[in-house]
Amino acid sequence: MNRPYPTVLLERVSKSFGEFIAVDSLSLTASAGRVYGLLGPNGAGKTTTIRMIVNITAPDSGRIELFGQKLTPKLQDRLGYLPEERGLYRKMKVAEQLRFFARLKNVAGDELERKIDSWLSRLKISEWKEKKAMELSKGMQQKVQFISAILHEPDLLILDEPFSGLDPVNLELLKEVVLDLKAAGKTIIFSTHQMEVAEKICDDICLINRSRKVLEGSLREIKKGFGRNSVALRIEGSDGRLKESLLVSNLREHSDEIEALLAPGASAQDLLKDLVSAGAVITKFELIEPSLKDIFIEKVSEAE
Amino acid sequence: MKKFLAVVKREYLQRVRSKLFIIATILGPLVMSLFGVVPALIFSIKAGEPVRLAVVDQTGRIYSRFYKMIQTEGELKEGAQQTVASVNANALSANRGEGKSQPQIRQEASFQLEEIKSDGRPIEEIRAQLDERIRQKKLDGYLVLPADLLSEGTAEFFGRNTGDVFTREHLEDELSAAVREARLEEANIDARKVRDLSRPVDLQSFKIGAGAAEHDSGEGFILVFGAGFVIYLTVLMYGQVVLGAVIEEKETRIAEILFSSIKPFSLMMGKLIGVSLLALTQLACWGVAFLILAQYGMGMLAGKGLEVTIPRVPPIMFLYFALFFLLGYFIYATIYALIGSMVTTAQEGGQLAVPIILLLVVGLYLAFPVIQSPDSSFAFWVSMFPFFSPITMLVRIVTQTPSFLQILLSLIIGFGTVLLLTWLAARIYRVGMLMYGKRATIPEVWRWVRQP
Repeated sequence: MNRPYPTVLLERVSKSFGEFIAVDSLSLTASAGRVYGLLGPNGAGKTTTIRMIVNITAPDSGRIELFGQKLTPKLQDRLGYLPEERGLYRKMKVAEQLRFFARLKNVAGDELERKIDSWLSRLKISEWKEKKAMELSKGMQQKVQFISAILHEPDLLILDEPFSGLDPVNLELLKEVVLDLKAAGKTIIFSTHQMEVAEKICDDICLINRSRKVLEGSLREIKKGFGRNSVALRIEGSDGRLKESLLVSNLREHSDEIEALLAPGASAQDLLKDLVSAGAVITKFELIEPSLKDIFIEKVSEAE
Repeated sequence: MKKFLAVVKREYLQRVRSKLFIIATILGPLVMSLFGVVPALIFSIKAGEPVRLAVVDQTGRIYSRFYKMIQTEGELKEGAQQTVASVNANALSANRGEGKSQPQIRQEASFQLEEIKSDGRPIEEIRAQLDERIRQKKLDGYLVLPADLLSEGTAEFFGRNTGDVFTREHLEDELSAAVREARLEEANIDARKVRDLSRPVDLQSFKIGAGAAEHDSGEGFILVFGAGFVIYLTVLMYGQVVLGAVIEEKETRIAEILFSSIKPFSLMMGKLIGVSLLALTQLACWGVAFLILAQYGMGMLAGKGLEVTIPRVPPIMFLYFALFFLLGYFIYATIYALIGSMVTTAQEGGQLAVPIILLLVVGLYLAFPVIQSPDSSFAFWVSMFPFFSPITMLVRIVTQTPSFLQILLSLIIGFGTVLLLTWLAARIYRVGMLMYGKRATIPEVWRWVRQP
């Protein structure tokens, strides 16, 4: 889907709380039909950025546009927000809560009832419809909260750590929904500090560290730019050789394989030759892309 | 506007359907009347055995009179043929048996008297003996009546528990009466005649209103104070409801979701108004119950031989009551909402709310001087002060309705204050609701207020 404007546009947006600068001159663009990852460690300024996008907090300076328009309370109806810190009214029934949250987005009526039923059934919590929130497990509550963020079919969906604490089955369930929404042309901003999760779901990413943007762009391009400079190895004997090798700058030992980051200027070919000549038995040797985590660590240490 | 109504509706419906609300509506009047009765009941509890009292009568003439005084007193109040010496009161059961008069609150202790003859022994020796008996807990106390008691002497009371002012006061009264009689007799005056002549006057009061003078036998005071008390209790109760509601949304972080859909101001106002409707519902239930009781209940009770008077209440009073209730509610509930957005837990909220409750209590106590002189300039000023006016102005209206201008002025000042407080609370609320982790400090809050 090509629109003349990005769904979310931030231009040199800053926000401070007293002495503390939470967001420093941040610019970003998120477009329709894509999952945009807002990544960074805790306290980097992700939540503040999101709060400015959803019009909860006003920026000190800079420009924010949603759907090519200046922020207005009316635009809030077109966005869905699942904050990291979230909750439900403990004594209210699930269906009542969903109805209430939808009404606050100006959605009501029979259509709404039908949607509530269909979402509850898709996320497999239909039988909890008339139960109070306090009777639900944490995972089930999380699913109800997720539904409340998407029930009004927002064009922009902002998810702050949506999968934290979910078991793999439910994680997969929600991930499918997110990808379906993306396929339907919605824009999704996905905030997390878990790079492994982001890597699997995001199309574009923006790395934030200490209130500043470190990196932005399509995940594929970014990874390509970093080149294939890591090797996954399974090796029998001559471990010592690997540790001492000048061709390797860093080693990470997993349960069944070793990940070796090549030193600058070294090629994988050289390393393979070196190991074979040392008499090592190699059962696996694979060039791998750098993980988002590696990229992030490198970028952050570069900046410092 | 639709969103605002959704909030009002949620606040109202969620709470009006709750069991707590239904129970409070039914039991409320009961609890409130208990507030009146329980303290009196507690005072009437006489724990333990009768007080064992020895009397050293050096005049030789007072003991028998004193004994009789204590005895007749007991008989008069008990209305039963019991030996005074060991009357141990159970005021409640004694009165339930009578069933016609209002329960008498029995405050006097009962005594077991014993006269100690001096038989020429020096007083020191007798005292030493009695002191010993007290130490051995065979005696609770003793009175020493010196020989010159009738002219100028001072009686002395020695006892284990001199902190029991009720017993002491009672002894003093009875002793005075006994000595007075002895003195009268000495002066050749018939004691019975004196008692006859000095019986108290019965004073009946009538209220002069717009119409004819109305007989007022004290229900007026109950109505006035009751109105003030109901305002006090409901404002306190629903203020707490607002506090709880705000803290719930902050604690569960629902506020953050809500703020992405609705303006903080609309959310806060929706909450305040939703809960106010709830309170009005409850008051309306009580008002209707009161009217039904006044209309039909009285006749029924009278038919059963029970004469209970409920004061007549002019309809305009209900309007004033509702107006001043709303004034009090919005003043205090707004402050509660403000506090709720500053704190992180209900506990902290409770602590911060204490000064607010104190302010309310002061307002309630101010009702007393205002009832006594509702037209004084003191009454005027406290009924203009917005934190007190919901109670004090209402009290003035019920006692001596001030000019309409004064009532209007009080309402204008009050609702002006509400606007100011709402503005202030809204500015604090929008920031405070998103601040997790720690309680906000005053400088922080001040910065939020000044933020654009």
